[in-house]
Amino acid sequence: MGVIDVIHFKKSFGKKVIHQDVTFSVQKGECLGLIGGSGTGKSVILRSLIGLEKPDSGRVIIDGIDITQMTEPQLLEIRKKVAYAFQNGALFDSMTVFENLAYPLREHFHYSEKEIHERVLSSLAEFGLEGNENIYPGSLSGGMQKRVGLVRAMMMNPQIILYDEPTAGLDPFNTRKIQDLILRLKEKGVTSILVTHDMPTADAVCDKMAMILNGRIEAQGTLSQLDQDSLGVITKFIAGEEL
Amino acid sequence: MDALPVATLLVEIIRFWGGLGILTGQVLRETFKGKIYWKLVLEQIYQVGYRSLPLILITSGSIGMVMALQFGLGLEKFGGKLYVPKLVAATILREIGPMFTSLMFAARIGAGMASEIGSMMVTQQIDAIRALGTSPIKKIVIPRVLACLFALPVLVAFANIIGNLGSLLVGATELNLDPHFFYLKIMSTASIDDYLSGFGKTFFFAIFVSLPSCYFGLNVKNGAKEVGIATTKAVVVSSILILVGDFFLSKVFWMIAKWV
Repeated sequence: MGVIDVIHFKKSFGKKVIHQDVTFSVQKGECLGLIGGSGTGKSVILRSLIGLEKPDSGRVIIDGIDITQMTEPQLLEIRKKVAYAFQNGALFDSMTVFENLAYPLREHFHYSEKEIHERVLSSLAEFGLEGNENIYPGSLSGGMQKRVGLVRAMMMNPQIILYDEPTAGLDPFNTRKIQDLILRLKEKGVTSILVTHDMPTADAVCDKMAMILNGRIEAQGTLSQLDQDSLGVITKFIAGEEL
Repeated sequence: MDALPVATLLVEIIRFWGGLGILTGQVLRETFKGKIYWKLVLEQIYQVGYRSLPLILITSGSIGMVMALQFGLGLEKFGGKLYVPKLVAATILREIGPMFTSLMFAARIGAGMASEIGSMMVTQQIDAIRALGTSPIKKIVIPRVLACLFALPVLVAFANIIGNLGSLLVGATELNLDPHFFYLKIMSTASIDDYLSGFGKTFFFAIFVSLPSCYFGLNVKNGAKEVGIATTKAVVVSSILILVGDFFLSKVFWMIAKWV
């Protein structure tokens, strides 16, 4: 049993079946790359891992706890351990960068304002975002918003981080910055899932990959296992061939 | 109208009432459980109350002036001009003050709430609130509902005063009534029953504006178009609830007044 276990996960929206039977497991400290074509429901799985979506059937187990039938108040506790880095950062636009980063600290810890101030500023400095604390998200570039979103996700020192296309639409410099950030968190022992179309990033940070096709996990394994499978779907996906 | 739009409309009405019922249940449960973010409530009181004041004062003043003029010109033919202060005061306190203020409030605040929350849904800020282990009901809905409950009665109190002052102004300048007489008539007419009847309704009207507006905002799924639709629905539904609810609430308050 892993830190994250998804078992026979099924999900439909109306008549459209998104997932028929998805099963995978992520061990402690591992980074799983979840890849697949657009509209295959990668983000839906990610959202289900913190209860933002409910599966029609199947189970989602986080750190040994089945969250599938949990109510919203029960899920709030799980979400303190599992951070979600949204694709566009999802920063609160009525708050400054500082207030965005201070938000989880004010909600879940009993730090003094001085401690919060120190923690936020040191996190910003650690990830090369110093000097932006008084800026509103609307004035930041897309890449900066994503990075601030990532830093906010890790403010609570989560055991698990879920990355939803963190490098989509970014230039190589910002992509590299995000890769470094993910690798640094991985070094700290954080378990993670990375949903992405960006294969170089997946290659750089993931320990293993899983590919979703036709509502199922069509292939999964370590990068070396998948490299040897020259006729496999992942190879075809990377090469841009029809699946 | 063929069967399909009627069925769609029925489904939408059932969905609205069901969704509103669930939201109301969540708001009640979370209001009495755990902490209330009073700082957010105060911020919202500033937004929905203080910032609505100019609109409410202008509207209520104008309505008081128009009412005095219309009543005065109409009653003058029958020699009933002296009844203008009585009529205007009772009408403003019982009906026009609370109802018009609430309608203006629905137009300004209902639209603002639905579009703000709808935009937060589209940009995943509501999801982010949940993902960060906090409740959007506590952080977004409850502060807005409480702010409306605190702010609307105060706005109506101001509207009643300014409405009556507007009528006094027109009474003195256009109808040639003695301002002192006008004032004394207003004060002698305005009973505590009139005031409480109008004032009591405002708490219901605050709910009629805030909850549907939050509901429509929270149900935005995709893009700017749905934000616009949610905003329109919030204003339309809030206004209908105020107007229809006003009739039933008036009856209830009359019955209570008779019973007491």
